[in-house]
Amino acid sequence: MTLPLATLDGCFEGVVPSIVCTLAADGTPNVSYLSHVARLGEAQVALSNQFFSKTAANLRSIPRAALLVVDPTDSAQYRLDILYRGSREDGPAFARMAADLRATSAQLGVTDVMRLRAVDIFDVLAVRQVRGGRVATAPERPAGQGLVRALAVTEALTRATELAGVVDAVLDALAAAFGHEATLVLLHDPGRGCLVALGSRGYGASGIGAEVPLGEGLAGLAAQDRRLLRVGDASRLRRYGAAIEASAELEARTRSVALPRLPEAMSQVAVPMEVQGRLLGVLFLESTRRMAFGAEDGLALSLVARQLGTAIALAEAESGEAAAAGPQGSTPPVTDRPVQVTHHAQDDSVFIEHEYLVKGVAGRLLIWMLHAYQAGGRVDFTNREIRAEGALRLPELKDNLETRLLLLQRRLEEKRAPVRLLRPARGRIRLEVQGRLVVTSHRRGT
Amino acid sequence: MRPVQGSLISAELAAFLESPVMIILGTGSAGVPEIGRGLGASVEGGGDALYVMVSAWQWPETVANARANGRIAATFARPADYVTYQVKGRVDLIAPPTPALHACAMHYAARIAEALAELGLSPEHTAPWRSDRDLAALRIRPAQVFVQTPGSRAGRLLAERRG
Repeated sequence: MTLPLATLDGCFEGVVPSIVCTLAADGTPNVSYLSHVARLGEAQVALSNQFFSKTAANLRSIPRAALLVVDPTDSAQYRLDILYRGSREDGPAFARMAADLRATSAQLGVTDVMRLRAVDIFDVLAVRQVRGGRVATAPERPAGQGLVRALAVTEALTRATELAGVVDAVLDALAAAFGHEATLVLLHDPGRGCLVALGSRGYGASGIGAEVPLGEGLAGLAAQDRRLLRVGDASRLRRYGAAIEASAELEARTRSVALPRLPEAMSQVAVPMEVQGRLLGVLFLESTRRMAFGAEDGLALSLVARQLGTAIALAEAESGEAAAAGPQGSTPPVTDRPVQVTHHAQDDSVFIEHEYLVKGVAGRLLIWMLHAYQAGGRVDFTNREIRAEGALRLPELKDNLETRLLLLQRRLEEKRAPVRLLRPARGRIRLEVQGRLVVTSHRRGT
Repeated sequence: MRPVQGSLISAELAAFLESPVMIILGTGSAGVPEIGRGLGASVEGGGDALYVMVSAWQWPETVANARANGRIAATFARPADYVTYQVKGRVDLIAPPTPALHACAMHYAARIAEALAELGLSPEHTAPWRSDRDLAALRIRPAQVFVQTPGSRAGRLLAERRG
C-alpha cells in the first residue's frame, strides 16, 4: 500500500538522517546517509547532492533508488521507492535546500564542507511503513493550532500603540502562545550590515544592542537569505561558539554587547521580518525541547513576523506626524556630578562613565543630542527635526528612527546611565542628563 | 580471533565496526535496491569475515536479497561525529546467530541506545530502529572498504582485496 507523501512531512525536517541506497551497473549496492530530503509536491522528493559521487554515478546507470526516512516525533520508519529524474543546480528547490544546508553548516562550523552541488529530483513510486512500529507520543501541543497561536500574538500587537509597546507585546504574547523559553527581536542595520537586538525574553541578560553579522548563525543566515530557518535537534550539531559571559568589562573591551544564548537549546527558528521588500529584522525563538517548532509553527511565525514588521513600519510612519516641539524647556542638572561621555568617531561607539553603551547609528544620534544639549541647553527634540538634520548624515534614519531611539532608550535604562531618554508624546524626545555633562570626542583613527 | 596485520579490516577498523555505531545495509535484486539496519557487528577470521546481525522480521527484503545474490554494502557511522566507513562485499552465509553473536547483538543494542541517549534521543525513542525479532547473522566477505565521513575524503577507497 502506498501512503500519501504529505503525511511524511515530519520526516523531511532533517532531524534523523535519511538513508539512500543505489545499485551500480553490476548490481553492487551503495548505501549512505544524506543530510537533506525535501518533499516536492505530492509525488516527488529532492535529495541533497554534496559528496556522494558514487550515488550519482550509480543513478546514471540504474535510476531506481531506495530511500529510508524517519519521523523524528514517533521514530516510525518509511521506505520510499524512488526513480531518478534529473539534477538541478538552481531553481526554488535548490535555493531552499542550499539555505537549509548553510544553516546546518553554520551550526556545525564547517561552511565549505556542506556546499550543495545540486539537488537530485526523484519521482516517488511507492511509500510504505517499515515494520517495527512507532513510539507512542502524546503531542505536547495539538496540531492545527498554528493559526490560533498566530492570531493570539497578532491580537496583542493590534492593541499596542507605540513602538516600545509593540515590541513588548509581541515578546510576551509569543512566550504565552508558543511555550518556548527564549525570544529575540533583532533589527536590521543596513549601514553596518548586521542585526541588532532590540528586545528579548527568557535570557539572563537582555542582550539589547548585541549585534549579529548577516550570514552568521541561524538568525544572520535567515536575514541574509530572507528565509525562515529552523533547527529541531541541535544535539546533532556542534555547539556554536563558546558561551560568553556578559560583563561590562568585556563590553568595553570589545565595544559590543554579548548576544544572549539559551544554554542547552535544542530547537531554534529564525523568521525574517520584511515590509515593502525591505528587511526590517529577524524574529528568533529558542527552546530546550527537541522539535519545539514544527512546520506549522513556522507558518504561524511567518504571519507574526509580517504583522510585527508592519506594526514597526507603522510606528515609524506615525511618529513623523508629531506636532512641532513645544516650549523649549531646560531642566537644570540635579547634581553637579560630572557625567563622562566618550565618543569614538571611527565606529560611533559611545561610552558613559567608561562603560560601553552603544555604537553605530544610535551612538551618533545620542552624541548629536548631547552636543545640542551642551551648546544651548536643549532637552526637547522631535523626530521630524532629527530626520531633517543633515549633520547626522543618516539617510538610513529616514525609516528607522523610532527603532533606533527605542534601542538607545532601552540600553540607557539597562545600564542605569545618568543620561536618559524620555518620550513625553508621540514624535517627541526628551533628554535628561543627571549631572554636569563632559563629552570627550576621539576622531577617526584615535 | 582478532584481525591480523595486513588484512582488509585492520584491528583499528574492526574496533570501530564493533563499537556502538549506526549500521545500515544496502542490498538489491533485479535492479531494485533495498535498505536495512544491522544490529551489531563482529569481525572474525583475522578480518576476513564480518558478521552483521539483522532482524529478518523487520528487514525481510535485505535478508532475501543477501540470500539471492550475496551483494551487500554495510555503512557504519558514529552518531557523535559522523565518522563513517562503508564495507562492500558478498554474503556467503546466512544463519541464526550463534550464542556469541546473539550476545554481541544484545550488547550492541544496549550500547547504541546509550550512545544515542547521550545525544538527546531517549532509548524508548530509538527502540523502533532496533528490532531483535528473528535475528539472522549475515557473514560478509569484505572486498572493499571506503571512507565515507562527510567531507573531501568521502568515497575514498581505504582498502581492497587483491586478486
